[in-house]
Amino acid sequence: MPAPQSPQKVPLIQLALPFCKIGLTSFGGGLSAWVYREFVTMRSWITEDEFLGALTISQILPGPNIVNLAMNIGYVLRGTIGSLFSVLALMIPPIVVIILMSVGFAQVDQYPWIHEFMEGVAAAAMGMTASVAIRNIRNSTKFGYWPIGISALVVSGIFIMKWPIVPVVLMVSIIGLLIAKNQHKRASIINEDGQVK
Amino acid sequence: MTDESLYLTLIKVFAPLSLISIGGGQSIVGDIHYQTVSLHHWLTQSQFIDLFAISRAAPGPGALLTTIIGWQLASWKGAMIASLALFLPSSVLAYFIIRVGHTKRDRPWYRWVQNGLAPVATGLILGSSLVVLRGTTGGLSPWFIAAIAAAIFIRFAKTHPIPVLLAGGCAQVMIGFFFGPN
Repeated sequence: MPAPQSPQKVPLIQLALPFCKIGLTSFGGGLSAWVYREFVTMRSWITEDEFLGALTISQILPGPNIVNLAMNIGYVLRGTIGSLFSVLALMIPPIVVIILMSVGFAQVDQYPWIHEFMEGVAAAAMGMTASVAIRNIRNSTKFGYWPIGISALVVSGIFIMKWPIVPVVLMVSIIGLLIAKNQHKRASIINEDGQVK
Repeated sequence: MTDESLYLTLIKVFAPLSLISIGGGQSIVGDIHYQTVSLHHWLTQSQFIDLFAISRAAPGPGALLTTIIGWQLASWKGAMIASLALFLPSSVLAYFIIRVGHTKRDRPWYRWVQNGLAPVATGLILGSSLVVLRGTTGGLSPWFIAAIAAAIFIRFAKTHPIPVLLAGGCAQVMIGFFFGPN
């Protein structure tokens, strides 16, 4: 893996602008692709390896992935102040927009069909969300089928059993981590013995 | 409820969710629904669905749902408090882990921790979408719309979301018009 390039000193305002743009144009998800385009493809401020590392961390940490990713890239480029600028630039414009949209919605919400319409939008959005999960499930069987079992445990806990989310996540995370650690250990033993699995 | 106790409750509801929202804001929508509709009765089912749909049709992270729930309950102050409660704890945690993780990302444990947690996030995302669908009031048609949308996005991952979301809204209006309210 190549050593990370020593970051150029990107001016804070130039760091903030792409995040402003991403925050305002990112409809319905898929934001990390935009970040890749702005920071790796268009500006070459960070390397592809740095981007992938940042993306992975942002996905396993709690919090919106895109916020964590912005914080990470800001940190790589300008340290703590860079993190702060990136996250604020990403968040503040869409916060203002979404509040204005709710105000506008309040003007029309006396018409019954508006609620039907919004319910249809929500249903399609749920389908979109589910498609992300389904794609993840299909890609998760690289190391065996146990990840499907883990995902199924979470779904049964919160959807079928209607248990509270926090204990479900904690319990199932422990199981997932134990299996993954065990598998990793066995894989390293096999590798040390020089056997190819 | 007094203002102060509402603010406190907002923080008590959203701050813990912030710390478990692994896999992004989508994973906690199910619990936000439970807390705001069933537990605290801040919103009716239909209000929740409206706000949820706005959060999906608006730009920015889907977790801005929290911002407009706060707005609905207590205007600007509510929006600010709810947003901070949802975004600040996870961000502070992420900041420190990013600082430390910066030097550790080639370590072997990094990979198995990721492998172990990824399916949990997947389950949360799927479970959350099912919980919200169960909360819709339109009978079978939202499930039908969701299934078609899911199929579209699985088959064509790069589809622009907005036309599909709008088509979903139109489909629901038309189903209601032709088959009457369920």
